[in-house]
Amino acid sequence: MAEGAQRSPANADAAGPDAPLTRTVGRRIFLKVLGSAAPAAAAAACAPLPAEQIIPYVVPPEDVVPGVAAWYATVCGECPAGCGMLVRTREGRAVKVEGNPEHPLNRGALCIRGQAALQGLYNPDRFDGPRRRRRPGGDGPGAGLLEPVAWPAAQQLLVERLQAARAGGGPGRIAVVTPLLTGTLDRLAARWAAAVGARRLRYEPFAHEALRAASRAAFGLDAVPRYDFARPDLVVSFGADFLETWLSPVEHGRAFAEGRRRGGGLRTRLVQLEPRQSLTGAQADEWLALEPGTEGLVAAAMAHAIIAERRVLLPRAELGAAARLFELVRDHAPEQVSGRTGVPAAAIRALARRFADPAAGGGRTLAVGGGVAAGGAAATAVQIMVHLLNHLAGNTGATVAFDAPTGDGPAVPGSWSGAGTYRGLRALAADMEAGAIDVLLLHDVNPVHALPDGAGFAAALANVPTVVSTASCPDESAALADLVLPAHTPLEAWGDAEPAGGVRGLQQPAQRPLHDTRHLGDILLDAGRALGGEVAAALPPAGDFAALLRDEWRAAHAAAGGGDFETFWADAQRRGGAFEPGRTATVALRRAVLEAPLELDPGRGERPFTLVAYPTAHLYDGRGANRAWLQEVPDPLLKTTWSSWAELAPETARALGAEDGQLLHIESDHGAVDATLLVNPHLRPGVVAVPLGQGHTAYGRYASGRGVNAAALLDPRPEEAGGGPRWLGTPVDVAPRAVRRPVPRLQTTFDQDGRGIARAVTLEELAAGGPPAPAEEPFSLYPDQTYPEHRWGMAIDLDACTGCNACVAACYAENNVPVLGAEGMRRGRTMAWLRIERFVEDGPAGPDNRFVPMLCQHCGHAPCESVCPTYATYHTPEGLNAQIYNRCVGTRYCANNCPYKVRRFNWFAPEFPAPLDRQLNPDVTTRTVGVMEKCTFCVQRIREAQDHAQDAGRAPRDGEITPACAQTCAAQAIVFGDLNDPASRVSRLAADRRAYRVLESLNTRPAVTYLRKVRRA
Amino acid sequence: MTRERSDAMSLGATTDDVLRTIGRPGRAYAAAVAGLLAVLAVAAAAFARQVGTGLGVAGYQPPILWGVYITNFVFWIGITHSGTLISAVLFLFRARWRTGVARASEAMTVFAIMTGALFPIIHLGRPWVFYWLMPYPNARELWVNFRSPIIWDLFAIMTYLTVSVVFLYVGLLPDIATARDRIRDWRRHVYRLLALGWSGSDREWHHYRSLYGLLAALAVPLAVSVHSVVSWDFATTLLPGWHSTIFGPYFVAGAIFSGVAMMITLLAPMRTLLGLERYMQIRHFDNLGKLLVVLSLVMTYAYGMEFFIAWYSGNPFEQGAYWARLTGPYAPLTWTMLACNSAVPLVLIARRVRTNLPALFAVAILVNVGMWLERYVIVVSSLAREFDPANWTGLYDPTWVEWAITAGSFALFGLLFLVFVKLFPPIAMHEIKEQAEAA
Repeated sequence: MAEGAQRSPANADAAGPDAPLTRTVGRRIFLKVLGSAAPAAAAAACAPLPAEQIIPYVVPPEDVVPGVAAWYATVCGECPAGCGMLVRTREGRAVKVEGNPEHPLNRGALCIRGQAALQGLYNPDRFDGPRRRRRPGGDGPGAGLLEPVAWPAAQQLLVERLQAARAGGGPGRIAVVTPLLTGTLDRLAARWAAAVGARRLRYEPFAHEALRAASRAAFGLDAVPRYDFARPDLVVSFGADFLETWLSPVEHGRAFAEGRRRGGGLRTRLVQLEPRQSLTGAQADEWLALEPGTEGLVAAAMAHAIIAERRVLLPRAELGAAARLFELVRDHAPEQVSGRTGVPAAAIRALARRFADPAAGGGRTLAVGGGVAAGGAAATAVQIMVHLLNHLAGNTGATVAFDAPTGDGPAVPGSWSGAGTYRGLRALAADMEAGAIDVLLLHDVNPVHALPDGAGFAAALANVPTVVSTASCPDESAALADLVLPAHTPLEAWGDAEPAGGVRGLQQPAQRPLHDTRHLGDILLDAGRALGGEVAAALPPAGDFAALLRDEWRAAHAAAGGGDFETFWADAQRRGGAFEPGRTATVALRRAVLEAPLELDPGRGERPFTLVAYPTAHLYDGRGANRAWLQEVPDPLLKTTWSSWAELAPETARALGAEDGQLLHIESDHGAVDATLLVNPHLRPGVVAVPLGQGHTAYGRYASGRGVNAAALLDPRPEEAGGGPRWLGTPVDVAPRAVRRPVPRLQTTFDQDGRGIARAVTLEELAAGGPPAPAEEPFSLYPDQTYPEHRWGMAIDLDACTGCNACVAACYAENNVPVLGAEGMRRGRTMAWLRIERFVEDGPAGPDNRFVPMLCQHCGHAPCESVCPTYATYHTPEGLNAQIYNRCVGTRYCANNCPYKVRRFNWFAPEFPAPLDRQLNPDVTTRTVGVMEKCTFCVQRIREAQDHAQDAGRAPRDGEITPACAQTCAAQAIVFGDLNDPASRVSRLAADRRAYRVLESLNTRPAVTYLRKVRRA
Repeated sequence: MTRERSDAMSLGATTDDVLRTIGRPGRAYAAAVAGLLAVLAVAAAAFARQVGTGLGVAGYQPPILWGVYITNFVFWIGITHSGTLISAVLFLFRARWRTGVARASEAMTVFAIMTGALFPIIHLGRPWVFYWLMPYPNARELWVNFRSPIIWDLFAIMTYLTVSVVFLYVGLLPDIATARDRIRDWRRHVYRLLALGWSGSDREWHHYRSLYGLLAALAVPLAVSVHSVVSWDFATTLLPGWHSTIFGPYFVAGAIFSGVAMMITLLAPMRTLLGLERYMQIRHFDNLGKLLVVLSLVMTYAYGMEFFIAWYSGNPFEQGAYWARLTGPYAPLTWTMLACNSAVPLVLIARRVRTNLPALFAVAILVNVGMWLERYVIVVSSLAREFDPANWTGLYDPTWVEWAITAGSFALFGLLFLVFVKLFPPIAMHEIKEQAEAA
């Protein structure tokens, strides 16, 4: 039987149903047939169950010890930022990802998309092997279907098409589009493309074209600078959502929190100017809603004021530049622009004075521009102005730095220089349309969905005879491909990334490929070698991509004069790469930039409303939409789930007579969509804001058919100077429709009703000694709990928390929290053990946003414990409020009595569609229908650390235990530890002047301390 | 049976009248039973679905984690108070008019407890392990948490059910004996068994009287305690809108109020349908009407105090919860409830209305509706507006499953009552006779 089960089904078929039973069956024949058919039947009977190997290893692999996690250092592949990642694997499968603490960019933290990388790996809709379109070009039944094909045949097909294209039309009839790759794979792709005679494009929807163009114009470098957010006392952001999607959000988040934590008056002041408040804008001390597209005018007015008031912080030799700049901005005095921009002249002047303060010296401030809010028709001019502004304040070379070029090639390691532009992709699309491309290879890009003119790209694809996609998951572009050669996901692949100077991240596979997929490098290598001739000659003669990677690292190591390579390689694998301090280039302002007049005001369109299409930290350009966690975890600002919507300011909605939840018809010259109205008070009147990333049609079960794709509305023309897409500024008409289609939201009021849930303290109050220390704990009728050894507790700094939701996703991953989908969220049935509450108060300069991570408070006098009839919830001697799922009968009484409402009830049996179930953490029980669950302070991590400490014969050290939420927090807002130990960080924070406990008056004695947000006045 | 002889004509007629009601069921009766069974079947299907797929098929919208089922539980336990009040209290006070309605009200008590007690189980996430709520010896030495009001509930309701059943049964004994002597069909075996050999001797009557008095005296404090304990499910929590010292007496008063209303609802049609006009007289209904109006005033006072204390406490959470009750998404229900319970019953001050059965019946129905809504508003609107505004949510929208099960509970209650009136004399014959004797 066991043998039969391991035999392949092919054997079974051979002996199977066609055996000659129809003729007269003699005894011998009968026995023969019986003898051969029985095992076959047995094998066939076993067919529905996959054959599993349950034989224990005779020689177990070194790193697979049952019950013990193995960690692999790798690089996050969710966006081009290139953060370092550690993957926790159990019994050979990845179960959790965490930031790599040794990586210089993210230093241990990850954003929500990084956390959700696992759901890309285990996505239930992934291609399980190559596909080819049945009867390409035919129109019979089933002509459009992708049918499975074996790798050799698929690879052969690719080679044939490449040969035909090369033979047919000379060079340039093949095109390769990849995302922004760096490192070995990028170099291989470049070599391959050059040898094959293919056009190569690195395409990113957010490729910062304007910023790069501005750097070219101002400093002669096609580069994105590296910004230091930890050092400046003032950050002026022209729409840059640097904590969400812009450049390297985790790195920025970490640095920004450090800047704010410096204490005293040094706390970084953030001034954000943007038409729609972003999550980054929600952290601002001063938020100014300006007219979309007028960022450049405000920047120019600031420059005007700085120069006019003689506050320029430049060396004497460069003062001439300031004089020339003044000529450029002569007509942009604050008073002149305030009408058009909507920013009061006094505010601009005040800002300018702070920005360039001779008393403080140069290099103490930072201006950044970017994101879609600065992505209008004048985007490049805006970025040039921002560069100039930084230059005037002496920030160039200080808070704004450029990575020094390394020897070979034009690229500087600040990876973005290699990226293509939207204009480049449009040009390719035009060639495709014209029939000039025979073979198009798309790797991990989805222009059909993410491009403003996605429909146009789709039409152009139809004119390409052979479209090859290496998407691991079906998407809108792969749906139009003729050949799908699914590549590994980043967690299954070798690779490296060079996201910044001195940073070389090494990407290792964390587990065996889940499906029948291949590495892109191997696909290219094999195809190139099969093509033979000069192509094969340009490629390494043997070895797979992993070998090539190793060889390149060996060569680089030798070139750098390093020692023993094996030691170095092992070290790189362990640490996740090779990290050296980056060198910065000295840059000089180019004269030319001061001579050409800048067109800073794009003017207004014909239609009455202006569209702002913005990316979210969850979905980025839309690639996050097929990760259930990213859909289920509510939007950090509006607390919406599983949807997209259109925002209007309250006065705009009133003027239109439209109400929240009503459908809005939005129409531009280029397209029209119907989206649900959400009234957002933090929006410039006259602006319609629509999030990007939804509206997928073929991106798997979690993404398809949700919301609308705002890109369809956009003006498809590239921005003039930079060649990037115009995310902002498309004029639109808006008309309410008599249909209500509310989006599921998990929080509907942001007014805390004076209840002191999210508290704040002003800098002045802090300087004067802070709010009164918490009074003595009030008397309680219940006997006090005793904690003989530890009392675990947590401190959450509301001043650091940006509400980014990374912790929420980390909690989902660590604790096997199920996802309920849109219908569940419509009834508010989130299963999140940790949620971020957002409250908004009126601040002196714009809204005062406060984000409160709310989780089980592990109360000393827990209201839930006394009401449970079966003792399913009880207090442990270590201060945890524990929940015994098996003992719970589901009265839900505990949740009713919990004032924090952090208990979650399993309304249905949780579902983890395969292979998402492989992500489940074996250390955490999955729950059943009808029981209550909630935050455990990651008790499994506490136990693990305690076990390690015990093995080492010591007590666990402070900081050794980190729950998943605290681990991933870029701002390090969450601190966990032992409240019994007066020296622990959490004990010290619990006694901080800013400390308070939520709903203290109820005398629940929470183990979670919150530290008040610090605000100005 | 010496007394019977002295007034044989009238007493015999009483027996005939009453026993006629437990004669062969008519077509209407069969139709009613069939209808109720059909509703019950739908409810059973709904419950099966709920058990099969999970409690999510109900409309719960966190933080509203208790809804229609708990409302029904409190409502039905409230209904039970009619029995003990009418029967026991009036018995102890020797209010003779109770005779005509005591039996029916005692039966109502028992059936309402039986119906109501199902809801804490229906409402469980895992109803198949409901017995974990009971303390029973087990190998793992798992015990229940006596600090939890749910455990108090269990004890209060079980005790109340036991005493109510015994009270009803003891009161039935002489009548069962009569039925045993008079009925010739298959049921006589049942009656013989149940009559416990009652022969009507003086000694038996003597014991009967002391036992009945004792049970009545026991039932009254139990009735008070059971709804106080039910109210503690709410009052001992932290939740604004629940956490209130008034809840004990307030719930007991409400329970009696709803119980009396339910009694009128049942007795008025029963009187006509079973032809019991001679025994359930208008003066009985007049008295019940008086009771209803007095209790309505008590309820109005309780509502007033609830809101007043919420305001007077200066506690923003309390104030917020009660203000939301009056103005928030549940305000229409609150105002309907106030109209039904505080305004409408005032018409019963007029004797003309009290003695007009259809009018009285209509008021009773409205009070039933009002009291159900009262529980709904207390349970749901308080949960909807608790401490943390981040959790405030939209309107709880019960699904067909919840409505089907709710309808099923009414069907079950009606069915039990219908079966009862066909099996046992719905009026205490022996007491009628006793009074006729004394008169």
